[in-house]
Amino acid sequence: MIGIIFGVIIPYIAFAIFVVGVVYKFIYWAKSAVPLKIPTTSGQQKSLKFIKRTIYDRFDSPYTKWETAVRMILEIFAFRSLLKNTRYYLDRLSQRDARWLWLFAILFHYCLLLVLIRHTKFFLEPVPSFVEMISELEAFKGVFIPSVYVSGVTIIAALFLLWFRRIFLSRERCISLPSDHFALLLLLAIVISGNVMRYFIKVDISAVKGLLLSLMAFNIPQAVEFANSIEPMFYIHFALGSFLLAYFPFSKLMHAGGIFFSPTRNMPNNNRAERHVNPWNPPYKGITWQEYYEAYKDQLDEIAESGYKVKPEVL
Amino acid sequence: MEKHVAEKVRIEQRFPSWRELLKPTTEFKHGYYHYPFRISDAKYLELPFVREWNPLDKDWKLPPNWKEIFLTKMKEYLEKFRSFKLFMDICVRCGACADKCHYYIGTGDPKNMPVARAELIRSVYRRYFTPAGKLGKIAGARDLTEDVIKELYYYAYQCSLCRRCSVFCPYGIDTAEVTWIVRMLLKEIGVVHRFSLISIASSARTGNHLGLLPGGIAGALQSIAEDIYNLTGIEIEVPINKKGAEILFVAPSADYFATPHWYVCMGYLMLFHEIGLDYTWSTYASEGGNFGTFISYELAQKLNAKIYQEAERLGVKWILGGECGHMWRDKHQYLATMNEPPKTLEDPVSPITGTYFENAASTKMVHIAEFVADLIAHKKLKLDPRRNDKWIVTLHDACNYARAMGLLEEPRYVIKNVCRFFYEMPEHTIREKSYCCGSGGGLLTEEVMDLRMRGGMPRAMALREVHRKYGVNYLCTLCAIDKAAFPHLLEYWRLPVAVGGMMELVGNALIMKGEKERTTDLRGEPLIRRD
Repeated sequence: MIGIIFGVIIPYIAFAIFVVGVVYKFIYWAKSAVPLKIPTTSGQQKSLKFIKRTIYDRFDSPYTKWETAVRMILEIFAFRSLLKNTRYYLDRLSQRDARWLWLFAILFHYCLLLVLIRHTKFFLEPVPSFVEMISELEAFKGVFIPSVYVSGVTIIAALFLLWFRRIFLSRERCISLPSDHFALLLLLAIVISGNVMRYFIKVDISAVKGLLLSLMAFNIPQAVEFANSIEPMFYIHFALGSFLLAYFPFSKLMHAGGIFFSPTRNMPNNNRAERHVNPWNPPYKGITWQEYYEAYKDQLDEIAESGYKVKPEVL
Repeated sequence: MEKHVAEKVRIEQRFPSWRELLKPTTEFKHGYYHYPFRISDAKYLELPFVREWNPLDKDWKLPPNWKEIFLTKMKEYLEKFRSFKLFMDICVRCGACADKCHYYIGTGDPKNMPVARAELIRSVYRRYFTPAGKLGKIAGARDLTEDVIKELYYYAYQCSLCRRCSVFCPYGIDTAEVTWIVRMLLKEIGVVHRFSLISIASSARTGNHLGLLPGGIAGALQSIAEDIYNLTGIEIEVPINKKGAEILFVAPSADYFATPHWYVCMGYLMLFHEIGLDYTWSTYASEGGNFGTFISYELAQKLNAKIYQEAERLGVKWILGGECGHMWRDKHQYLATMNEPPKTLEDPVSPITGTYFENAASTKMVHIAEFVADLIAHKKLKLDPRRNDKWIVTLHDACNYARAMGLLEEPRYVIKNVCRFFYEMPEHTIREKSYCCGSGGGLLTEEVMDLRMRGGMPRAMALREVHRKYGVNYLCTLCAIDKAAFPHLLEYWRLPVAVGGMMELVGNALIMKGEKERTTDLRGEPLIRRD
């Protein structure tokens, strides 16, 4: 019974929620207008020929589509804005590095990427060679038996570090909502259960792969058969993972997709060179020159009489 | 003599729990809250629900269906501004922005952290626009009550829209955008502050924030020309409302009257005379700044539309803009979107050097620093930087043109050519990381003086560093609000540093044809040479 519920029904539902939710969210965002071009410029604009722009300026204050694309890539793969982090201290004026957050975030996200890549071996048959290669490389194959995956262990550390920030730093504690803790704890639970399953309470991996492949092929009878043969330990990991999928579109975790829509990052700083059109731009409401002229006729006529200019009164 | 003892400024940092942070603050501290609008201004601008009200009163006399209006409008703005919708959804509260806000640094008030400022409205968004919000407090959601409105008003006007936090945010969440939309929402239920509305109403009526009538502008320009005559012996003709001029020049209206803006205006007139520029001032479009951008899209459009209208009426080829901060956020990012550029305008080409300002090809508006830097690079100006020897200069990058335009090197290029002593403030306080003066975004008003002085603290401390290290005695800034705000700020933080603009330094250094030997600078102070 556990197998059918947690191995077949819930994963399908969760995956459906995930896909529908993410697509819905993308449409929800895309539906809104972008009235203004508002890039946050973090470098020298393109202006005159002799005003040099460094490579950083080109990506922090992009002028072309390509430069904007590089800015986005740097933002997504290197967390460039976070890397700028400097803190203000009353007692000292020089800047002090406060890039721990960047480090923890990079650690977590890249470990997650590696873990996800490694997990494709449960979904793909045959397993792509680069997946095997990455798995072997990061486990320093042969050093430990069984192989210890660096990413799988580091991700726990990274998550704890990120969580400790929220618990021990007073500022971060004060702005952290329950959902922020929840997301971290959920991820922690998933990676810890995954590691436990790998190193301590082993499960039948070939059955797991069979389950996933038959789920993907919508071969439900076969999936049920596999599901019933897998140890309960697996379902802790699997159910939590399913829950994460379902939770994803409605939580702050959607930042992963949101970054692509961010108008302060995905627009080039060529405002004065290329006009941006606001789809709902209202018509001008205000006084016209004619009304202005009638209101201040005397004074305007006086300026006209003096030949549209003023001269200093020289004694 | 009585000894002057400086009062200690204490920054009390508080770290309440997230639950407490969700509770609206309704206790308004003196020196932090804004006065309500004047009836006359609100009526002139046709704002909804014009009435007498006071932020300190318990009853704000909101319209009976205020909640419905607020939420309907919120839904509308979520559809109209993708930025708003997205920024409501994707914040992860990582805290990267928390200590980037100068108001947070200066006040220690947790709700001045950019993330917390956005949470004020995000909690309402969650409650009414997300499924999880139904869970209430535990989901970080809260009901929209009158107290929440009060809190939104209190904190939306404690942000200077400087966008510093947006530089550091991994998703580019721009608190200026969020604050702007909160201000728009509050406007819909008749909650607007006094300061910006006075200027907006003036500008809508007379063409400039100060409410100067055409005769007043002509008179001011004439007085400036007289000052130039006394200094150089040159009689300068200043064109006003001249049809058929090649260029329309638009500056913030403070340049006509205020100090030290006045010296900057002298600089413009001297430069334009010297290079024989065919240009004109306008009394109808006599304001470069746009306080409308502090309150709403429509009000911003109401003010900046005049520039294009006037450019078309006068038949100019392109527009040159003076030294101003938020004016350039408006001109660079808003002007050509809010109004279609008139077909009569031509590509901006410098008549002196022939340089085509490609980066302004569509908006047809060029920044004075770009224009002057180009002149200097083509060696069209005779300059004697030694006339600025009195000044040991540092440059404050004004938030708006640094983070919404990227004008960083042009002013530096000009300054380094017109004065000999130039030092940068610490790296994390300049360029795109520049700290706000604390008085931008509609906060340049007396009643929030405490907030302004505290918000300006990081900038003042950075300045103190170079003042002590290099003897910096001149803070150059290309922003009219800065020029008005810094003198108070530097007095408060006891920094004997003069405040001025780039064009003042240019005016000092500019050698004009037929000028008499100068004995003073534009301020009328004796010239000092250092060798």
